[in-house]
Amino acid sequence: MSWKETLGDRIPAELGREIDTYENQIALKRQGKIDDKVFAETRLRRGAYGQRYDNGQRNDGNGVKLLPFPSDGQTKGPDTVWDAPGMMRIKIPFGGLTADQMDTLADLSEEYSDGVCHITTRQDIQLHFVHIDDTPALMRRLAAVGITTREACGNTVRNVTACPLSGVCRDETFDVTPYAEASMRFLLGHPDTQDFGRKFKVAFSGCREHACGLVNMHDFGGIAVTREVDGVTERGFEAYVGGGLGAVPHEAKIFDPFLKEEDVLPTLQAMSRVFARLGEKRNRARARIKFLVQQLGIDEFRRLVREEREALEHDDRWSAFIERVNTPTDAPLLEGAGSDEAAGSDAFQAWRRTNVYPQRQPGYAVATITLPLGDLSGWQLRRLATLARRFVGDAVRATVEQNIVFRWVREADLPELHQGLEALGLAQPGAGTIADITACPGTDTCKLGIASSRGLAAELERRLADQLSSLDESVRNLRIKVSGCFNSCGQHHISDLGFYGVSRHVGGNVVPHFQVLLGGKWVENAGSYGLAIGAIPAKSIPEVVRRITDRFVEERNGDESFYDFTSRIGKRALRDMLQDLTAVPDKLVNADFYRDWGDPREFGIGDMGVGECAGEVVSLTEFDLAGAESQVFEAQLALEENDPARADKLAYGAMLQAAKGLIKTEFIDISDDPSQIVTEFRTRFYDTEVFFDKYAGGKFANYLFRRHEQAGPTAERDVARQLIEEAQLFLEATHACQARLAAIPPPPTAAAGPSLGGVQ
Amino acid sequence: MTDQAAGVDALQRIALKIFLDDEAVLDPRDVIPIFHRWIQTSAVDGLLIDLADYTHMTSGPSVLLAAHEGHYAIEQSGGRLGIQYARRADQKGALAERLHAAARTLVKAGRLLEADTSLGGQVRFRGDQLECLANDRLSAPNRRETLEAFRPAVESLLATLGPDDDWSLTQEADERERFGVLATSGSGAGLDLLEARLG
Repeated sequence: MSWKETLGDRIPAELGREIDTYENQIALKRQGKIDDKVFAETRLRRGAYGQRYDNGQRNDGNGVKLLPFPSDGQTKGPDTVWDAPGMMRIKIPFGGLTADQMDTLADLSEEYSDGVCHITTRQDIQLHFVHIDDTPALMRRLAAVGITTREACGNTVRNVTACPLSGVCRDETFDVTPYAEASMRFLLGHPDTQDFGRKFKVAFSGCREHACGLVNMHDFGGIAVTREVDGVTERGFEAYVGGGLGAVPHEAKIFDPFLKEEDVLPTLQAMSRVFARLGEKRNRARARIKFLVQQLGIDEFRRLVREEREALEHDDRWSAFIERVNTPTDAPLLEGAGSDEAAGSDAFQAWRRTNVYPQRQPGYAVATITLPLGDLSGWQLRRLATLARRFVGDAVRATVEQNIVFRWVREADLPELHQGLEALGLAQPGAGTIADITACPGTDTCKLGIASSRGLAAELERRLADQLSSLDESVRNLRIKVSGCFNSCGQHHISDLGFYGVSRHVGGNVVPHFQVLLGGKWVENAGSYGLAIGAIPAKSIPEVVRRITDRFVEERNGDESFYDFTSRIGKRALRDMLQDLTAVPDKLVNADFYRDWGDPREFGIGDMGVGECAGEVVSLTEFDLAGAESQVFEAQLALEENDPARADKLAYGAMLQAAKGLIKTEFIDISDDPSQIVTEFRTRFYDTEVFFDKYAGGKFANYLFRRHEQAGPTAERDVARQLIEEAQLFLEATHACQARLAAIPPPPTAAAGPSLGGVQ
Repeated sequence: MTDQAAGVDALQRIALKIFLDDEAVLDPRDVIPIFHRWIQTSAVDGLLIDLADYTHMTSGPSVLLAAHEGHYAIEQSGGRLGIQYARRADQKGALAERLHAAARTLVKAGRLLEADTSLGGQVRFRGDQLECLANDRLSAPNRRETLEAFRPAVESLLATLGPDDDWSLTQEADERERFGVLATSGSGAGLDLLEARLG
């Protein structure tokens, strides 16, 4: 008996056929009848993702060791061994979960994964250590409870996200859930969304002010708005396009200040067609729609989309859902009842202060279940489903802050719910506080992770949770977000304190560091992106948090926000106060600096073969790299001072100086002439592919070449900002190249080298 | 053979767990460097892949050593700390033989932890209790019939572990949970003796 037979017609026919096809593709791949790249994209489009070490090797701390899987040369993609465990990403549109779905997810985590469900920053659920042979059965069991993993990864429309408070929020314009759901259903598998060069992310938000849907960082985002026309209230969206974090973040541009509700789906379809037709396909580093918008200009992009929209054949689905938008997405299970706010234990009161949000519907509240690092066990999830059935039915959502919320909890039931959560070990207070840290998987499981984002987040959570009740309120409400690399899956750009993992070559060793980002805004739908102020050794990051937050408490003006505070104090002053923390003690004095958080292996340990000459040249290179970093920072300050031309010049200068430093490893008499630097760099490092990243190839070098070919500095702030981001990436690539040249197996996988490519 | 018995007989995903005698003596975080060392030295059975740190969680695996054939974990489900071996890859032989093989792997790992000097020689596992889980709801749903189909194989294992002991089996009561039994005897041998008995 198989799951296919057992579940029978509980699997919707279309989903069943799709999974049958996928299972056939697995069989064909095993027979060698499908190309590696084609199969990789096939499985990605079904949510079956790669996982760290699936290339069959791992640095165990003593060196790179082969992992001899019994795959007999069989692969499931380029450099991806068949039997190596992978990750399964499960799309949960707008984070909405039913109790039955929670039960199934719990079962799957136990039977096919490691017993742990992980909530992502896009309201998905991920299972790790999954064998590809198990994925068809896993998908069938999900399909039987109405979940598809289709297009969870790959160059597709990813999970459509929305504010978890939609429909119960006190400030929203209207409930955006029906629009998120309709968009998801309409775009899933749509022929016009199958030929993208890169992924496409959609989000909806019920208001402009709060974090909600994080519209500003999405390829397409809609903020709910209304207007009065002839005495009638019309619904629509302030529509944005071309936002995104990743290596080169872009703030979204306004596409339409009032996109009528009936125009949302056709506009998304038209946009998809324009993106598929004109978007970059070969260079994945510039294939997101943000680059197309930038290249065309928002006005031309808008014109093309509207032209496409006019040419579309009518589709009834565009507006069919609108008759249901006033039907509540979920309804209360029990009749509302208020409660005595002062009642309950101290633990309950502490939890209530941070984890309970009174709904606009009197007598009801949203309760947040804080999940450390977004993790909960299968056992906990199953029992959480039991609590859901008892208190809220199916009114459950996953959040982009990697938590779960119960909506429509009767206020009178809150103490009992809290008791139930305590029994599951899920009653931690601190939701939405500085101790509720968001982190991507990083080096734990991600192939691209450079430093341990989860290790750092766990350490910070441990320290901050202990102090939560004594922290000043201004600090308590800050957000920390951590990514394992610059790709920003941990959304480090949009937090008060953001960190992303990098590595630095120090005295013949590779040391884990984190770039510190300030100036990001979580509120206002990710209203502003932070910029890096410098790399600090991983082990000194807790002290960074302490110093900056202490200074905020001491020097805050009245109700000044952290964003305003850092703007007022200035990045230079903040960087200066962290300067001593950039130092890495000698390994004999403190070897701990040479290990990452939560990982006793020496970071990037490997055989050293650096001679005296090389050592000297390396030190010259280091000098130039330090100078280049300083120039990038100065560029940020210039941008802050609204001087994009100077910012551009400094960012360009930083790339030149970094390139020059690298050239010195071969040609010490290199001049300061930009043309000579670029020519020598091209000849020695680009044409030879020495500078190339395994995944990204020569893209970072192209940042320098493109700027060098430009006539002069730009006067446009957006362009200068992008150049700063590119210069930062060029520097990281230079550090990685330098590490390779010094014959140090660079972290995280020595054979592969640190990847500076994009996420899958 | 009934369908149920055939399903149970085909069961491959078996998880066995033994419990700490005194939970206070082990901080799971202290096991992280030990598991890394096990990977470096191939100290336990299987193709050891990587380690997952879940010490921030209060349920499920706390520290997991992922391996191709089966995962090792310092496990805390049910509020009880112990070491678990969860078989993933198929094994040959009858169910009773597969249970014996999994038990050998588990006891060997438990013995290594007991002997690890970095833990100060304080860690001891109980030989009087063994949890057996069927990590496969299709082959072994958590029903009474499954217990009857499973009983011969598990009793064969228990007869090896404690031939003179009077073992009792308690089935997991919640039908939504995986099929599992907690085997308990009046007296428990040390892991060294269990290892010897398992051969």
